[in-house]
Amino acid sequence: MTTVLETHDLKKHYRMGDTVVRALDGVSMTVEQGEFVGLLGTSGSGKSTLLNLIAGLDHATGGTLRMFGRDLAQMSRDQLTLHRRRNVGIIFQSFNLVPTMSALENVALAMMFAGVARPERERQSMALLESMGLGARARHRPRELSGGEQQRVAIARALSNTPDVLLADEPTGNLDSRTSRDIMELLKQLNQRDGKTIIMVTHDPLLAGAYAHRTFAMLDGVIVPEPSRS
Amino acid sequence: MTLSDTFQLALRNLGQAKLRTSLTTLGVSIGIASLAGMVSLGLGLQDQFVGRFTKSGVFDAVTVMSVGDQPGVAMRMGRRGSFGRARGGGPRGAGPRGDGGAPAQPDQPPPPLDDEAMKTLAALDHVKEVYPNLRVPVQLKYGGLSEFAIAAGVPMSARGEGAFQTFAYGSFFGSDSDRACLLSLDLAKRIEAANPGALIGRELILAHGAAASPGAVGGGIDVGGGAQVQAVDSACRIAGIVERDPAPGPLGGGRVSGVMIPLGWAKEIGDRPLAGVPGAPAPKRTYPSLTVKVMHPQATQDVEDRIKAMGFTAFSVNDALEGAKRAFIILDIVLSLIGSIALAVSSLGIVNTMVMSILERTREIGIMKAIGGSDGDIRRIFLIEASAIGLLGGVAGVLLGWLVGRAINIGANIYIQGQGGTPGNLFALPLWLIGGAIGFSIVVSLIAGSYPAARAARLDPIQALRHD
Repeated sequence: MTTVLETHDLKKHYRMGDTVVRALDGVSMTVEQGEFVGLLGTSGSGKSTLLNLIAGLDHATGGTLRMFGRDLAQMSRDQLTLHRRRNVGIIFQSFNLVPTMSALENVALAMMFAGVARPERERQSMALLESMGLGARARHRPRELSGGEQQRVAIARALSNTPDVLLADEPTGNLDSRTSRDIMELLKQLNQRDGKTIIMVTHDPLLAGAYAHRTFAMLDGVIVPEPSRS
Repeated sequence: MTLSDTFQLALRNLGQAKLRTSLTTLGVSIGIASLAGMVSLGLGLQDQFVGRFTKSGVFDAVTVMSVGDQPGVAMRMGRRGSFGRARGGGPRGAGPRGDGGAPAQPDQPPPPLDDEAMKTLAALDHVKEVYPNLRVPVQLKYGGLSEFAIAAGVPMSARGEGAFQTFAYGSFFGSDSDRACLLSLDLAKRIEAANPGALIGRELILAHGAAASPGAVGGGIDVGGGAQVQAVDSACRIAGIVERDPAPGPLGGGRVSGVMIPLGWAKEIGDRPLAGVPGAPAPKRTYPSLTVKVMHPQATQDVEDRIKAMGFTAFSVNDALEGAKRAFIILDIVLSLIGSIALAVSSLGIVNTMVMSILERTREIGIMKAIGGSDGDIRRIFLIEASAIGLLGGVAGVLLGWLVGRAINIGANIYIQGQGGTPGNLFALPLWLIGGAIGFSIVVSLIAGSYPAARAARLDPIQALRHD
């Protein structure tokens, strides 16, 4: 198995007023290709901070974070941009679609940054939306879509540059339980059928337990030992 | 991200905020209109001024003198070295005319301004013609009036140029040897106050010096070598009356006191004190100064420089106009500074609009960064938005400035005509000003947009995504 992610003593400290906040205080973990990993914890446990570091949205202040063998801590801003563009797809709790763009344009936006020509990116975006069952909703704006539909558009966007890793930050946090199940089944399918490595942040132990191969429970910036499910 | 995608995204963003975009664009266009209008006014005034000078036919003329001759000196020499009136018996200096060399010469004698020099100068590139500036002292006699004057020799080529473009009465000489003269309106009014036009075709007596014929009785003045000079009356027909004196030589080479005669005739008169003096050596004629006419005003400076290199002293109105040109440059600068105030204000408007827009779109910027938009992509989007505002504002501003300029011009011309002036274009809008104004608008907008764009590019994606 190929190691996708490897962290060693990863730290993220930042100053807030006079106190130093230790959002991450020495996290060491490994994720193999094709795994579905849960990051479990309450708010402030550091799980989202860890996900942001993996996504390359933030810089660590200590330790190492290797993805596909490369240390993100050594990367420039532009290299991190390329990492976000090619290696990972991010799914947010609040969907984060551009409100003025249609579903199709939102999916195509990521490919636009990657430099894919317009006809090609529209064709691919349409195919992705159709695979999500949203072919008929492609021309709609986000506010004309239900929460579940919006999250599917966001997932389609996360997949648009064919990354190996999907990073999901509370992907069902804004959805009702039925829609949540649909979205989780979709992620499971992407993991099992397409072999996408998935790292999902959640505060819901049941959700993590139901879908993740392994779960890292986090508390105060460190991973706490917990028997992992296989 | 390709450039065309960036453009489309930027224009789309502008379209999302139509009211704000159009208000900002209006602000820029007012700024550009005021700047372009002011520069246009400066250029228009300059055109009016320079145009008048160009019409006066002095822009294409170079005055040539011997080295060391100053215009004033030349003039004094010309006045002194000619003749004395036998009748008046005045103490005016005697001596052959045309010795107008400078009294004290530097080590090297200057090339004489003779017919040979004229040929050499005429052979220069871009030179249209060369003629001597002859000023002949004469006594004017008409009816009861008798006054001393300096008659200017006017070449036939001056027909239709400068002061001879329009005549108050009559017309130009018929030929170079015509026994005709032109008067200035001032002089004509002194002679015939009530109806100067009635003078046309009448005869005027010009008394001038000539070698005394042998045996002439009395009144002759000894000019040395036994030659004598006496006054000769020549009749001339008044051919025309001009409204103003021709522009005196560029450097005041002699105030013309209202009488102009054909150059050919002036030469004859100038020669006469010498010609026909028995036994005198054939005179070698030299001139106090020459006028070199250039084919294009642009070549004036070049010709002037080459003449100077030949050892002559040369002046052109270019020199005299330097001060005026400097004044216009200062005027242009002042006008454009005034015009720039509005543009500076509107560029702050751009900064404000862009900063507001970034605040509003913070989350969107965060999204773009999270899904792979680079700092450079974000910066370019905002820079293109700013330059699009600049382009639109520039085009609209030039249009607005032109319209306002036309309106002011129409109003001003009504006033000018009411005051008896000739209407003209106070605003000049050459192509380079149109292009320059639009280009400047884009540049100013880019500068104004660069701070917001840099701010957008530096946004921390995590903070931006948390932004509501």
